[in-house]
Amino acid sequence: MRRELIAMLPRLKRFTDVLVGDKKEGRALLRRALLRMLNDRLRYQRDIPFDRWAFAEIYQLWLGELRHHADPLRQAKVSETDFEGLFPQEQGIVFDALTANFLEHLPPQQRSTLLLVYGEGFNYEDAGQVLDLNADAIRSRLIRASASLADRLNSKSPARAQGRHHHRDALSQESAG
Amino acid sequence: MTELSDELLVAYVDGQLVREQTRAVEKVLEQDDVVARRVDALKDAHGRLESAFEAILAGEVVEILATPMLPPRLKPQRENGLARIGVAIVGIGIALAALVGGYGWPLVMPNLTALPKPAPAITGSTSPILGPSPTAQSANLR
Repeated sequence: MRRELIAMLPRLKRFTDVLVGDKKEGRALLRRALLRMLNDRLRYQRDIPFDRWAFAEIYQLWLGELRHHADPLRQAKVSETDFEGLFPQEQGIVFDALTANFLEHLPPQQRSTLLLVYGEGFNYEDAGQVLDLNADAIRSRLIRASASLADRLNSKSPARAQGRHHHRDALSQESAG
Repeated sequence: MTELSDELLVAYVDGQLVREQTRAVEKVLEQDDVVARRVDALKDAHGRLESAFEAILAGEVVEILATPMLPPRLKPQRENGLARIGVAIVGIGIALAALVGGYGWPLVMPNLTALPKPAPAITGSTSPILGPSPTAQSANLR
């Protein structure tokens, strides 16, 4: 198990960082989760892929700790500086401020859903297994988030914005008709 | 214009539709610019999210290579070799002392070659411990 965890470390670290929205807190959460996984390794059932299990362990730990806070909503809030710190500052890596800002303002559960599907490439069922949700709930989270980001992109791009308005007009005309 | 929900279009962009549904959406895209632009925007959103998560992962790899994340493996503690030798020597010493003190071995070896002393003949003599032998007692009675 230790070897498998080491091989997965960058992915696990990304998951905790995106979930918490802060590198320092993400690292602390990952440490706690790793210790828990290593201590309770017998709980791992071989019938599910190891990475799904590991992500689920982290998520359950985070959720359990969040519930113990007096104000979980405030606890789950992320600062802009901390979130931008998740993106490397190295040369050659383009920082997409619009997407970073969009992700930062999402609830952690929705951020992690996007990460599992668009970052990890999980299908809806696997993402649901990690987050203890059914595939429909994952689908609706993705639709909300994707549509919202697409709207933002349209509003930034005049040509697209025109198209979007046209689409909305057409929809309203259709519904009126 | 054909009205296609965001739900269907997101599933299309995510590749979650079955083949027939995908073909049906693609047909609409060929004919409807509005839907095509919406799909483009969703694909753009999808691509940006993928790139953002890839960028974060690239940063994690660099960071993890610099600092280990896992707690150190708990190795079984090796006992000090010298201490073990010391304990063994003390043990052997105690054993020898017990032998020498208790039985005199090996300083006093039993004389294995010497002939055993003949057993005292049972006569009428009186043993200082056991008293007179029964034969002697009966002789006296007579």
